[in-house]
Amino acid sequence: MEPSEAEFLAEKELVTIVPNFSLDRIHLIGGDLGPFNPGLPVEVPVWLAINLKQRQKCRLIPPEWMDVEKLEEIRDQERKEDTFTPMPSPYYMELTKLLLNYASDNIPKADEIRTLVKDTWDTRIAKLRLSADSFVRQQEAHAKLDNLTLMEINTTGTFLTQALDHMYKLRTNLQPGESAHSQDF
Amino acid sequence: MFEAYFPVGPGLGLEENFLSLDDILMSQEKLPGRAESALPRLAFALGQGAGTGDSIPEGSKLEIPLWLAKGLHDSKRRIISVELPKIYKEAWRTVFSADANVVDLHKMGPYYYGFGSQLLNFDNPENPEIAQTILQTFISRFRRIMDSSQNAYNEDTSALVARLDELERALFQAGQKGLNDFQCWEKGQASQITASSLVQNYGKRKFTDMDG
Repeated sequence: MEPSEAEFLAEKELVTIVPNFSLDRIHLIGGDLGPFNPGLPVEVPVWLAINLKQRQKCRLIPPEWMDVEKLEEIRDQERKEDTFTPMPSPYYMELTKLLLNYASDNIPKADEIRTLVKDTWDTRIAKLRLSADSFVRQQEAHAKLDNLTLMEINTTGTFLTQALDHMYKLRTNLQPGESAHSQDF
Repeated sequence: MFEAYFPVGPGLGLEENFLSLDDILMSQEKLPGRAESALPRLAFALGQGAGTGDSIPEGSKLEIPLWLAKGLHDSKRRIISVELPKIYKEAWRTVFSADANVVDLHKMGPYYYGFGSQLLNFDNPENPEIAQTILQTFISRFRRIMDSSQNAYNEDTSALVARLDELERALFQAGQKGLNDFQCWEKGQASQITASSLVQNYGKRKFTDMDG
């Protein structure tokens, strides 16, 4: 899966906006949205929020976890624990990128937030690599990692599965298998 | 799935993968061996004599490629016998178990893992140790490959891959690709449309050249 696919899935998450137009309730296949009244906050999926923002029809309200103190807390907790802590949103990386790219004027201290999220990401990726290394070193058959997000899995997934494939084939060499070789004449 | 060309990987077990280019190149590597019986008029074919009529006397040492060794190896007819190349022998095996990271696997035969797996085909009392060493080498080098491939963004990686064998290089590229895709997405370049690598070299692609 590519990062842009993970981003596409992330765009389904809901975010609060304050529109500056009015519109009755709209009925989409996925559900109903609206009604939109100027000045009144309403929850919409991110794809619509970004679109409206680009057309200057709304103002975005950052999600409650996108705040400097909260992110600092999350980052410090991530650094303390050996396992993965639950993230405020399963798509925190994608949402950060989308919201900070398109709506940074609506989000206070955008640069600090970007740095904090990146720090948390780096810590989690380092933990993932550490656990992958210990998994390979001890040749375990099964591992369980909680609280990983899709984007992290994508970034390291291909490498890890290929390496484990190779390791598996090299391991089956250890068993002196039934030699179903070509015929002897 | 999004690549223009999907390469077939090496077979890494007792059987080679017929369609894999890596395996085909790997089977060209030479093995030391001995002729068990006289081989009439084959000196030229095996690179040992100048004239077409020379034959190889019994017991002379030969260097034969793997594909030939596999074909001629037969415990009943005794045409040739093979020995292990030195990197799979006892001395080098202890080097690998001491610290596998310092070895330059590219110089030692760029197909260490594949060739080693193929050597298990010849009945040799040291086979279990060879298989174990190959596995342990892979495991110990895994960490370094992972770290270097996932951290080197937009740098010259030739120093990092110089000591890896072909299998490890493919893994390195997979890691690099994951990293590059992520960075590219983060910069916003993932949604830009670019020309496919397959058609970029076609001479007819320039729009301006097609007018008039």
